[in-house]
Amino acid sequence: MKLDPRTKLYMILIVSAVVMMSATTPFLWAVRIIMTLIPIILLVIEKKYTSAFGFTFLYTAALVMTFCFLSESSSSFFKTFVTGYSGIVVQFMPCLITAWYVVRTTKIDEFMSAMQKMHVPDGIAISLAVVMRFFPTIKEEYSAISDAMKMRGIALGGGNAGKMIEYRMIPLLFSCVNIGDELSAAAITRGLGGKVKRTSVEELKLRVSDWLLITAFTAAAVVFVLFKYFL
Amino acid sequence: MSENVIELEHVSFKYKGSEEGLLNDTSLTVTNGEALLLTGASGSGKTTILRLINGLIPHYYQGDVEGKVTVAGREIAKTELYELAGVVGTVFQNPRSQFFSIDTDGEIVFGPENIGLDPKEIQKRKEDVVEEMHIGKLLGRSLFELSGGEKQSIACASVSALLPEIILLDEPSSNLDQGAIAKLAEQIRMWKEEGKTIVISEHRLWYLKNLVDRVIYMDHGHIAHEWCGEEFADFTPDQIEYLKLRPLNVPDILSPGCGGDCDCNGSCKVDLSTPDPAGGITLKKFYFSYHRNPYLFWKKSFSEDDSNLSLCIPRLVLPKGAVIGVIGKNGTGKSTFLKCVCGLEKDCRGIIECDGIEYRGRKRLAFSYMVMQDVNHQLFTDSVESEVLLSMKEDDKERCDKILDSLGILEFKDKHPMALSGGQKQRVAIASAMAADAKLMLFDEPTSGLDYSHMEKVGQLLKNLASSGNTVLVATHDPELIELCCDYVLCIENGKLGYMKRV
Repeated sequence: MKLDPRTKLYMILIVSAVVMMSATTPFLWAVRIIMTLIPIILLVIEKKYTSAFGFTFLYTAALVMTFCFLSESSSSFFKTFVTGYSGIVVQFMPCLITAWYVVRTTKIDEFMSAMQKMHVPDGIAISLAVVMRFFPTIKEEYSAISDAMKMRGIALGGGNAGKMIEYRMIPLLFSCVNIGDELSAAAITRGLGGKVKRTSVEELKLRVSDWLLITAFTAAAVVFVLFKYFL
Repeated sequence: MSENVIELEHVSFKYKGSEEGLLNDTSLTVTNGEALLLTGASGSGKTTILRLINGLIPHYYQGDVEGKVTVAGREIAKTELYELAGVVGTVFQNPRSQFFSIDTDGEIVFGPENIGLDPKEIQKRKEDVVEEMHIGKLLGRSLFELSGGEKQSIACASVSALLPEIILLDEPSSNLDQGAIAKLAEQIRMWKEEGKTIVISEHRLWYLKNLVDRVIYMDHGHIAHEWCGEEFADFTPDQIEYLKLRPLNVPDILSPGCGGDCDCNGSCKVDLSTPDPAGGITLKKFYFSYHRNPYLFWKKSFSEDDSNLSLCIPRLVLPKGAVIGVIGKNGTGKSTFLKCVCGLEKDCRGIIECDGIEYRGRKRLAFSYMVMQDVNHQLFTDSVESEVLLSMKEDDKERCDKILDSLGILEFKDKHPMALSGGQKQRVAIASAMAADAKLMLFDEPTSGLDYSHMEKVGQLLKNLASSGNTVLVATHDPELIELCCDYVLCIENGKLGYMKRV
């Protein structure tokens, strides 16, 4: 199923807004969980089974922890730690899942033309597009560096957490800067950033599925706010 | 017909803050429809000339430019970069860093979209380019899963789609195997037939010798020699060697017909006698696959009977103290083989046996050491000395100095590794391998993009490593390197052992 990038951005916006308001009653929790399920279902439709399963597992685990085993009277270091952890997961996971879905399923081309239709300035649109382009690159570079560290037996930084991060970050930053530099050079020789108005072969159109999702998310947000603050 | 499309008039250039000029008072004219080859050592100014033509200098890379550059009637210094997009197209060296999109379709239409063409026209151009280059099967795929050669094809397509009259190629074959290079040569021939002006900067000469009309030899920012294409193609090996260029003819061991990246289908006669296991390093049960079934709780180890194996080597004896070239097409499993041997792929449960001792699992990591293609990934500290000490179990500064001295990099001891040149970085990585006491040293494409004199140095270095008792495995696409230093050639075909022969 193909969604318009604008719908996807709207989803991120609504989910982000909703996770910033804490759910207090079972009904509010239900609304929030339904909102989380939608991007998971979308991931399944896109055949991204592994990530869909992983997210569901983590989210469910954190939910079960929060509701069944922890209460305000939980003390001890371990319990505090678990409370903090599940709290963060339950609170922010919906955002992460939605963002993941958007990044994995949006082509840069679509994204650029969506930005243009929304009259976002080119500077911002291009920067955001480069960020999206960079996720897979960072992943590739990171795994190459991890390999190199394993080979030298410093994957754990000799037990020193600071070193562990330092050894990973320094080569990563260097190669990302280099790649970024070459990438920009290659892009501007092909006319990126010119004064000419950019065109796009991807024709963007809001379809039925887009309108359905937009309505669903708007409704969820309205219901959430109404029940939390006014009823 | 013979009007000048590119004109450099007394051009000098140096980067901001740098003392040394990269280009000194150079004048060059290229006529319409000409194919020009720029060659010469690294740092001789080839790339600088290309950047002056496509406008990256002075608009992107800043520095002091003197003189005047005119391309297709426009003075570069006074032309905005995006106005040049439809006139000059550039194919860069590194396939992985010249993409803006993440999918192939988006990449091909990226340029035409930028210059604001009508979507219908863009679609038509895309279809034309795809048809012309026969890359239909690459459409609709993620760029991150393509091989180096396929990426370079897409890069060419995306330049083609802009229909530029001038095409620049900056060491385009650096990361390609022989098959992909042949395709690239075909592409260049096609552009030439279409009447485009082509300027290529390149170290590998064998695929270009009958393609170019004129050859320019650069030396320290000057044009040192100039020949016409036919004259250059007839050069004797002595002349080429005197100029420190890579050979015009690739040695027979790899040329098509007899194993040219293994297309021989076993028709060539080779000496397949394996060395005596007692005096060698035996690899046993190296099986590995990237396509595994999803698992939940346990991992099944791979065996010979599994279908879909990416690597399947039941047994292999490597001669000790030799340099062994590992060859094979892009994506046929050379890198996988190296990664499995040095123990980076945990799921490969292969065993290395040497001098009666078996190395399994993590122990393989200590027994072997891989110098990666991109050495930037394996330099972690802030000085060359600490980089080497990091590899030692106990800090031994004297030994560290000795190792650095033997590699000729002792003078850089206190420098930051990232401040060194590519070749020096590679030596630092080799120094850490020596410090780690690795018996088996693996090199992944150590000479891609190197000029001949640097390649010679690497070859000598590999030989030295082998003669001091190490076994060296080097994955490469450079027949020149194999001729320089390899004792054996090991061919990998679709993850299986093709053959191993003495050179």
